[in-house]
Amino acid sequence: MISTFTTSESLAAARAANRRAAVAGRTVIFRIKRCDGPGKPSRWEDFKVPVPVGANVISCLQYIAANPVTADGKPTTPVVWDSGCLEEVCGACTMLVGGRVRQSCSALIDDYAPAEGDVITLEPMSKFPVIRDLWVDRERLFHNLKRVKAWVPIDGTYHLGAGPTESPDQQGTRYKLSECMSCGCCLEACPQFNLEEKPDMWDTSFIGPHAISQARLFNMHGTGKVLADERLDALMGMGGVSECGNAQNCVKVCPKHIPLTESIAAMGRATTIHGFKRFFRG
Amino acid sequence: MSESTTADPRGFFERNHYLLRRLHSLSGVVPIGLFAIIHLTTNSSIVWAAILTEKGRTVTDRTVATFQEEVYFIHNLPFLIFTEVFMLWLPILFHALLGIYYAKTGKANTDRYSYQGNWRYTLQRVSGYIGFLFILYHIATLRWGWTFLVPGGTRWEYPYAASTLAACLRGGVGEVTMAGILISVFYFIGVTMLVYHFANGLWTAAITWGLTISQKAQQRWGVVCTALGVTLFAMGASAVLGFATLRPDEALRIENRVMPTDKRVELQREGKLKPNPGEPRSADAVQTH
Ligand code: HEM
Ligand code: SF4
Ligand code: SF4
Ligand code: FES
Repeated sequence: MISTFTTSESLAAARAANRRAAVAGRTVIFRIKRCDGPGKPSRWEDFKVPVPVGANVISCLQYIAANPVTADGKPTTPVVWDSGCLEEVCGACTMLVGGRVRQSCSALIDDYAPAEGDVITLEPMSKFPVIRDLWVDRERLFHNLKRVKAWVPIDGTYHLGAGPTESPDQQGTRYKLSECMSCGCCLEACPQFNLEEKPDMWDTSFIGPHAISQARLFNMHGTGKVLADERLDALMGMGGVSECGNAQNCVKVCPKHIPLTESIAAMGRATTIHGFKRFFRG
Repeated sequence: MSESTTADPRGFFERNHYLLRRLHSLSGVVPIGLFAIIHLTTNSSIVWAAILTEKGRTVTDRTVATFQEEVYFIHNLPFLIFTEVFMLWLPILFHALLGIYYAKTGKANTDRYSYQGNWRYTLQRVSGYIGFLFILYHIATLRWGWTFLVPGGTRWEYPYAASTLAACLRGGVGEVTMAGILISVFYFIGVTMLVYHFANGLWTAAITWGLTISQKAQQRWGVVCTALGVTLFAMGASAVLGFATLRPDEALRIENRVMPTDKRVELQREGKLKPNPGEPRSADAVQTH
């Protein structure tokens, strides 16, 4: 491969090499982009952290929270972050580790800072408003799932019986799509999805690859299908599927390896057909 | 579909968002992309005609004569100006203006995510901007006669298609000038950018319309688009090189020779017939085939 381009393989290889070279009992500098609250200016602070074997970013953040002193010895406020599952299934701990978006709970220090005194940078995601330090507000991500009604409508007054049966093929496709944990990695890396602080702009700004993929998931669902037209209408609106510029970063950074670009193309096809139908039906 | 009787409160662009995006995509492929293929095929005949035709004695005879005949063919097409305006200039303007507007909705991030696809995306926008500037210059100088933008001040004229084009690229009818080299380089960059833009655009258009869905299909279509891009690049590069190395005086003799009689009579009447280099203007006054 051409080495000037980053590939998923070259990244994985570089991390594996770091992991093999990692020195036991070292101290690592955590360079953290901090912010005291919404609208407040950001600043960088360094922390010295002794790194035990197998440490990850969250365990080191816990150390910093217990010892809120900067590398040059000044006391400071504990660094704030968000997390939940600690096993890469909830998406809450997503941040920029070494400049690239990923889950911090599964980010091993050995992969990034193998030698004594190595620096590892932590930043909050840039496409969502910062609440404090590394903690961001992902509300727009969930709002965009509502725009495409990313659910199966089953609420009613009587029992609907068993759902329709499904082919193994379709089940396989849908299972992969269903693994999305709403983490926001794909949005952070997408050049067409950018920070929008004003919620009244959300409905006309790019909906994002995760929502396009979820629309596909629920349009393939036997019962979820009943809302298919509404989902396609939403995807044809301002900020819909055609806002994607095919940079295909999303699929590269998705920790669940969801085939986002295939979903985008599939919804491109579905909206094409839907558009023609709508045109001739009036 | 919508049963509401009240007017849609959304603006024109918002209501027709999807349609406009699809027309943008379509316009890039047809008519603009299709025209680009035809245009580069014609212009690169200044090189390929040397091998593929048998007209004339020398290489230049064959290439200039073939190119000039193609130009006559195009200029004899009915409703040419109508075709130009509605199939070319307006679609390009539409595609370019919307393209700039769409390009401004994105924020390049190749510094953090230097994936090949991300570079393609960024280059698609950069090539759009540069290509637009190039097309403006190209049409304004060669088609609209804005000779003040041409070093050497040559006006392109279709009965003298090759010689005037060469002079526009070389900075005058004589030897190549420094300004001429700059213009030729600008042409090379402009053409290369637009070829990339079209080839990559054809690849993304297949995703836009949902023709290629699986990664395999996208890869296969990528091979086709790359092959087309490489071919068009070869044609564009030979066109620029072919004209930048063509001597206008030599080309002029050939153009005068292959000129149809009615055209010659018409140019003579208007006093626009150019004498062969080294011959006085009156000397050609009585020549006909
Ligand atoms: C003159 C020759 C041109 C050709 C043959 C051409 C062709 C194309 C094609 C085929 C596409 C793909 C559409 C899609 O992905 O669905 C495209 C996209 C695009 N074009 Fe052009 N184009 C030309 C000029 C321009 C110019 C002058 C601009 C102005 C800046 C421009 C800006 C864009 C942009 C920004 C896109 C990406 C749109 C998107 O991904 O949504 N193009 N073009
Ligand atoms: S393919 Fe589309 S959605 Fe994915 S990163 Fe690129 S622009 Fe964003
Ligand atoms: S699609 Fe992938 S990257 Fe995007 S939110 Fe879902 S899990 Fe995260
Ligand atoms: S804490 Fe849940 S993914 Fe990291």
